Amino acid sequence: MRYSGLQVLKEGLFGQKGWKPVWRDPAPKSEYDIIIIGGGGHGLSTAYYLAKEHGLTNIAVLEKGYLGGGNVGRNTTIVRANYFLPGNSEFYSHSLKLWETLEQDLNYNVMHSQRGLINLFHSDGQRDAFVRRGNAMINQGDDAELLDRAGVRKHLPYLDFDNIRFPVYGGLLHRRGGTARHDAVAWGYARGADQRGVDLIQNCEVTGIDIENGKVRGVQTTRGAIRAKKVAIVTAGRSGQVAALAGMRLPIESHILQAFVTEGLKPVIDHVVSFGMGHFYISQSDKGGLVFGGDLDFYSSYASRGNLPMKEHVMDAAMTLMPIIGKAKVLRSWGGIMDMTPDGSPIIDKTDTEGLFVDCGWCYGGFKAVPGSGFSLAHLIATGNHHAPAARYRLDRFRTGYGIMDEEGKGSQHNLH
Amino acid sequence: MVDLIAKSACAGLLPITIGSLTLTEETPDPVTSIAPFKGQSEAVSERLESALGLKFPAPNRSASKSGARIVWAGQGRALLMGAAAPDLAGLAALTDQSDANAIVTLKGEGAEDALARLVPVDLRAAHFKRGHTARTFLGHMSASITRTGVDSFEITVFRAMAGTLVHELTEAMESLHARRSHLGQ
Amino acid sequence: MRLTCPVCGDRDHREFTYKGDAVMLDRPAPDAGTDAWDSYLHLRDNPCGDTRDLWYHDPCGAWVVVERNTVTHAVTGTALASEAKR
Ligand SMILES: Cc1cc2nc3c(=O)[nH]c(=O)nc-3n(C[C@H](O)[C@H](O)[C@H](O)COP(=O)(O)OP(=O)(O)OC[C@H]3O[C@@H](n4cnc5c(N)ncnc54)[C@H](O)[C@@H]3O)c2cc1C
Ligand SMILES: [Zn+2]
Repeated sequence: MRYSGLQVLKEGLFGQKGWKPVWRDPAPKSEYDIIIIGGGGHGLSTAYYLAKEHGLTNIAVLEKGYLGGGNVGRNTTIVRANYFLPGNSEFYSHSLKLWETLEQDLNYNVMHSQRGLINLFHSDGQRDAFVRRGNAMINQGDDAELLDRAGVRKHLPYLDFDNIRFPVYGGLLHRRGGTARHDAVAWGYARGADQRGVDLIQNCEVTGIDIENGKVRGVQTTRGAIRAKKVAIVTAGRSGQVAALAGMRLPIESHILQAFVTEGLKPVIDHVVSFGMGHFYISQSDKGGLVFGGDLDFYSSYASRGNLPMKEHVMDAAMTLMPIIGKAKVLRSWGGIMDMTPDGSPIIDKTDTEGLFVDCGWCYGGFKAVPGSGFSLAHLIATGNHHAPAARYRLDRFRTGYGIMDEEGKGSQHNLH
Repeated sequence: MVDLIAKSACAGLLPITIGSLTLTEETPDPVTSIAPFKGQSEAVSERLESALGLKFPAPNRSASKSGARIVWAGQGRALLMGAAAPDLAGLAALTDQSDANAIVTLKGEGAEDALARLVPVDLRAAHFKRGHTARTFLGHMSASITRTGVDSFEITVFRAMAGTLVHELTEAMESLHARRSHLGQ
Repeated sequence: MRLTCPVCGDRDHREFTYKGDAVMLDRPAPDAGTDAWDSYLHLRDNPCGDTRDLWYHDPCGAWVVVERNTVTHAVTGTALASEAKR
């Protein structure tokens, strides 16, 4: 079924009775060419691009829960291409270009809104760093504008500009940055993959990975054994556990990132705003809720929920930057399990086992990477060669020390990012 | 030579009284950090006792005698305040900390309620008795907090934090007072 | 979550700085080779369940080995790293 405005109108007039399930619910076959473990954003987009770009459709996506129930449905939906280092820069630039045509491509409204993202800075040193970042973005062919105080005031009049500790010096505006509806992205890719013949299999947890003579042969699941020539591990926060099924240890620790949403309010925050000094960022959803978050809870955890001190810290930062939101009531908070690498950058690579691939390490920033990651992993699986924009996302970069991408300049060590 | 004028850490900021609580500055002199060398804690303790009548304190404890106070200050370290350290050569590392800290006393009925707004340790008298000390946080600052009486606490932070310390404490005292006045207490 | 510092007692976890997996206590020999060092520095079991990790108690300066569960956040034991090193 193709979606169109006309159809929405028609269904509206006839009681919304004509809509069909968006994807099938097939039983797993005994064998596929390719198995993708994990039905999050990255797994679904990989399946979609394998089908669309490479004509490969004998594929199953195995999801232990329901499609989109992981981080892809838990994030704060920010989409941007404002990275600084070679490796990240071209990857996120490519991903943002895919976002810009995604809705037409998928024939699905993912509510991608390029409302502009403003990173605030609060000192001369930080201004210098953002000027550099802005230049790197422009050199990459993306957009960046430096705003002075007056410039920021025009966009964000409600900030506490003269906060004693964190006065606003200016901001870096990335107009093409913005948000998208996270669930819709998962659903759109799921529908696109399903339409092209990919089997999306839910409630199917992978419990073993079969390897013979250094080659992958298939997987064991809660719904039986399934053979496959190629298997990709695309399980975000659970990457370490799934890789262990193949006898691998990954350079990954799983940590919790929390997010918060308030009651619905009239439009007040038109952009995505991030506080340069206090680990806080915010945007307003189309429903009106203020969606915001901060830093990791900073200890390894699979709890899918956060602890109170970070909540307090995030609220503190919010009040420092924009006291006007103090009266808004927080309705919900939740946490997601983040796959953190030592340098804060991701991995899209082959492994020592022939036919086994990993796509992980997205840390707290893998939503914006959903199109790019799927595209690049599909390329790698289909052709055996790294896709140029993701060519630096190597698994062995920590071991060799070559190609570390420490975007924050904190050092290539666990728990610094 | 220029004559330098000595100023205490909280000069111009204290004293302050809000409701039942007063905040005043302490300026013990000298202040010495004593860190016994490995295996020398006993010897240091004996030497301190014979000189000042004060033992090297156990974790979370402090002691005072005739104007001198010794406060546990972390693993293997204590601060001696208001008296010069005896000769501990070969037994401990001594560092002069006079003027290095901002030290204040919060006193009055409700002092523990004001601190409860800032400190993640239970300071109520049932748990935290006179002479008990805690290394902890006050707001976002590292602090050392010692109960010096039924309703008084001595609080030590790095000298550079004096302004923030007074600000945080004043705010807690004010909001406590406002709440109590509001409730007619 | 509260952790018991073996020196100071039961404390709020805000007072601690997290270092990571207690594998950091088992530093390989300088010439142990790339694999051993890669494993020590970067590769992690990242267990979903019981784990041992290192926390620093900022107020007193103690390194603490914490045994806890990464799913329930239950803390089952703490010890000074200087004594727990085995
Ligand atoms: C609070 C929060 C805020 C965030 N904000 C942003 C943001 O603003 N911008 C941004 O770019 N990124 C953000 N992120 C990061 C982003 O959400 C993640 O990096 C990204 O979603 C991870 O990829 P994914 O969608 O494939 O993961 P997931 O959706 O987690 O998919 C992994 C899937 O694998 C499945 N799985 C695991 N184990 C197995 C198994 N054994 N068998 C079968 N299936 C299995 C899981 O059930 C899950 O559905 C945020 C994350 C969180 C938690
Ligand atoms: Zn301690």
